Amino acid sequence: MSRLTAEHLYKVFGRRPEAAVERLKGGAGRDELRADGAMPAVIDASFEVEAGQIFVVMGLSGSGKSTLLRMLNGLLEPTAGRVLYDGRDLTGLAPAELREVRSRGISMVFQHFALFPHRTVLDNAAYGLEVRGVPREERRERAAEALELVGLSGWDASWPDELSGGMQQRVGLARALATDADLLLMDESFSALDPLIRRDMQDQLLHLQKQLKKTIVFITHDLNEAMRLGDRIAVMRDGRIVQNGTAEDILVRPANDYVASFIQDVDRSRVLTAGAVMDPAAGPAPEGAATVAADTPLADLFAPLAKDDGPVTVADEHGEPAGVVTRDAVLAALGEQPAEVTAHA
Amino acid sequence: MPRIHLGSWAETAVDWLQSHLGGLFGAVNTVLSGLYDGVNAVLGAPDALLMAGILAVVAWWLRGLAAAVLAFAGLALIDSFGLWDEAMSTLSLVLVASLITLVTAVPLGVWAARNAAVSRTLRPVLDVMQTMPAFVYLIPGVMFFSIGPIPGLIATIVFSMPPGVRMTELGIRQVDEELVEAARAFGTQPRHILTRVQLPLALPTIMAGVNQVIMLALSMVVIAGMAGAGGLGESVYAAVTQVDIGGGVESGLAVVVLAMYLDRMTGALSRRVSPLGRRASAKAARSASGAATVLRHRPGTAVATVGVVVLALVAGGMRLTGGGGDRESVAAGQNVGQGRTVKLGYFPWDEAVASTYLWQNVLERRGYRPDVKQLDPGPLYTALAQGQMDVQFDSWLPTTHQQYMDRYRDKLTDLGAWYGPTSLELTVPSYMKDVNSLADLKGKAGQFGGRIVGIEASAGMMGKLNDTVLKEYGLDGEYKVVSSSTSTMLAELDRALKKKEPVVTTLWSPHWAYGTYDLKKLEDPKGAWGKGEEIHAVGKKDFARDFPQIASWVKDFRMSEKDLSSLEAEIQKGGKGKEKQSAGRWLDAHPGLVDKLAPVSG
Repeated sequence: MSRLTAEHLYKVFGRRPEAAVERLKGGAGRDELRADGAMPAVIDASFEVEAGQIFVVMGLSGSGKSTLLRMLNGLLEPTAGRVLYDGRDLTGLAPAELREVRSRGISMVFQHFALFPHRTVLDNAAYGLEVRGVPREERRERAAEALELVGLSGWDASWPDELSGGMQQRVGLARALATDADLLLMDESFSALDPLIRRDMQDQLLHLQKQLKKTIVFITHDLNEAMRLGDRIAVMRDGRIVQNGTAEDILVRPANDYVASFIQDVDRSRVLTAGAVMDPAAGPAPEGAATVAADTPLADLFAPLAKDDGPVTVADEHGEPAGVVTRDAVLAALGEQPAEVTAHA
Repeated sequence: MPRIHLGSWAETAVDWLQSHLGGLFGAVNTVLSGLYDGVNAVLGAPDALLMAGILAVVAWWLRGLAAAVLAFAGLALIDSFGLWDEAMSTLSLVLVASLITLVTAVPLGVWAARNAAVSRTLRPVLDVMQTMPAFVYLIPGVMFFSIGPIPGLIATIVFSMPPGVRMTELGIRQVDEELVEAARAFGTQPRHILTRVQLPLALPTIMAGVNQVIMLALSMVVIAGMAGAGGLGESVYAAVTQVDIGGGVESGLAVVVLAMYLDRMTGALSRRVSPLGRRASAKAARSASGAATVLRHRPGTAVATVGVVVLALVAGGMRLTGGGGDRESVAAGQNVGQGRTVKLGYFPWDEAVASTYLWQNVLERRGYRPDVKQLDPGPLYTALAQGQMDVQFDSWLPTTHQQYMDRYRDKLTDLGAWYGPTSLELTVPSYMKDVNSLADLKGKAGQFGGRIVGIEASAGMMGKLNDTVLKEYGLDGEYKVVSSSTSTMLAELDRALKKKEPVVTTLWSPHWAYGTYDLKKLEDPKGAWGKGEEIHAVGKKDFARDFPQIASWVKDFRMSEKDLSSLEAEIQKGGKGKEKQSAGRWLDAHPGLVDKLAPVSG
């Protein structure tokens, strides 16, 4: 069973939201409803997130991704639809029960860090535990562990405004991790950081995820970030999820022109893998050729392919040869434009 | 546009409230008086310099050594002006008013910040509270709560409430929405969002509001002093009405010292209580060096507490050893009053001051406890009509104060005239050789700049001057009567006399100005001013029933112009704040007078 399920979620702001949902279900468009004073932010969003997965929601500003995220922990109440967390319907919970879920099961990391300026780094990290009523000594100990996990040990007594942006967001991450919540909601958490720091933070998140195996819903407007982090990616446009799939699905089989226009800027060599471009039918590579795993990005095949003229062997998860990748295949994959989309363009 | 009788509705409402909710007002009065008396007793108990020391230690603790030294110097200055008791009573009023205001304003502000409807509703109410001139509700306040500090306290609370509410609301609304969301996202309960996130972060703004509340309270307390709240306001008012420039400056400075002390202390307190402020001052302390460190040195809380406690104990000890009755003992046969309190009110006219303090001395020697209070005429007549004052001695009838007598016809007792006739006149300096009568003014408007310097527009004699006197002598087109205030008129007279300029002013007899300056009353051959008035004593409705003995004494009370002017001169000589002693000295210089004024039978 999936850890988190969203079933036909709608969120409409403004006038007569319920009526607006009925009209949306009846096929009415977003602009029509806007004219009547209703503002649909999320329309019929459904998806499942498996335990230990990083699920990225990608979309431009105004696509409804932040609204969607806030319905997952009840900060916003859906106009229609359900959110199931471990099979439990969050939309039906009383406020006190919902607060309990937020303090134990679901924590959140914010775009602008949202650290409390009147608390030290340690007290910020301990905030969730404090809300839950964990005794002072224990919560300080656990907060210190969380800070160590994000590489901030020794900064306990500092104040948020004494830290760089990246460090502040690590405190935000530590605050979310300290509660031992299984589900992390990350709202454009790295968007406010400069590119180098952002990359470090992405690496650190992936590194931490290997250890901790959290379930993460990550919001971003940056497709490269989505591709780097996401086990699955949902692309949102105008309140709707227009495609939900793996990075490769989206790159190789974009659902429509909108998605296709996004992926033009993506570094394909880092998203596509040896497994995706190999020729399983070809005979084994010559003796002495390099062997790589199926999930190796194409970028990492450049070196071995340059060294020898011949192809590289791709091994499956058992180490058995599954196929070969040639220079031609790699170049073709990198240069490829999805055929059916190109036809439309 | 039809006339909307809002004013008369308000009057009806005030009457109704007075007759139906008397108990409630009584209860409020008791609570507030208790608070005020308590605070005032504590602040007023220690010797002035000791109390100044205690306040200086507080300044030391909050701001540092330099602030403490300055605070002590300023407070000692107030003591040297002889205004210490007034300053402490003003301080008590400010503290009580601010406390009540804050206890109300902060929760209201929090409520308004969390509820848009409340915010919308409060806004116009706060506007009214802030801008409605205080005198408008000071007078009804007197009707509900009697003369004394309470109407002033209520006016102060009303006036200083808005910034408290507004700044609290603003402070909470200013807190970053993402921080509030973060708190919610971690499952914080709504009330903890308030106490753990919003209030701590709003604290600097709220404390700025607290500061505003206290400063506005101080300014209003001074105004309320003019309506009987006492303290420095009364001193300022008394000085101004008597054209006592020096006294005005001194009491004004005392207000300034208190204001600066309160402002700096609340400023420092706000840095103390807010976590962000504490951080900022810790940083500043680290970077300071040398002499600055000494000046900024602040004792720990424990040291400061010990300092305050030691000074307070010394103060307590001094009271124990130095205490003891200083009340004059009254011979048994003459103790008619048996310690009963009788409330004497007066407004700051010289004959009122003279007669009131004369009777204060007489009554005290007869075993009463006369309680003397200065008020404006309006509030004083109101208070008499309400029975909150017992008697006053300066009722000019049948003209000047007739309006009050008409208004409260059944609620006042006329105890008879003790001086008369008075006269109203226009006056010029004696050096105006060729102006001797009202008729001489004709054709000389150029010389006087076409102005007659008048007093308050509401005074009866101003109406008479405009409506009758000027017309009678054909001066109405030539001269313009400038209405101002009695003190302004006297100041203008003083200025003109010093420069030997021509000036013509309204004046009346008896008046001390005739003793102080060389003036000439303009003759009134046509009798346009009408007959002179008489000065009556007026008591509350049941005065003769409550104080039969005093009523009979006052009915027989008469004073000649010679006696009155010598008494006024004695009081003038004794200076402000010593009126009682001066009148007592004058009384002692006239042996047998007490027995004549207040004969004891048998």
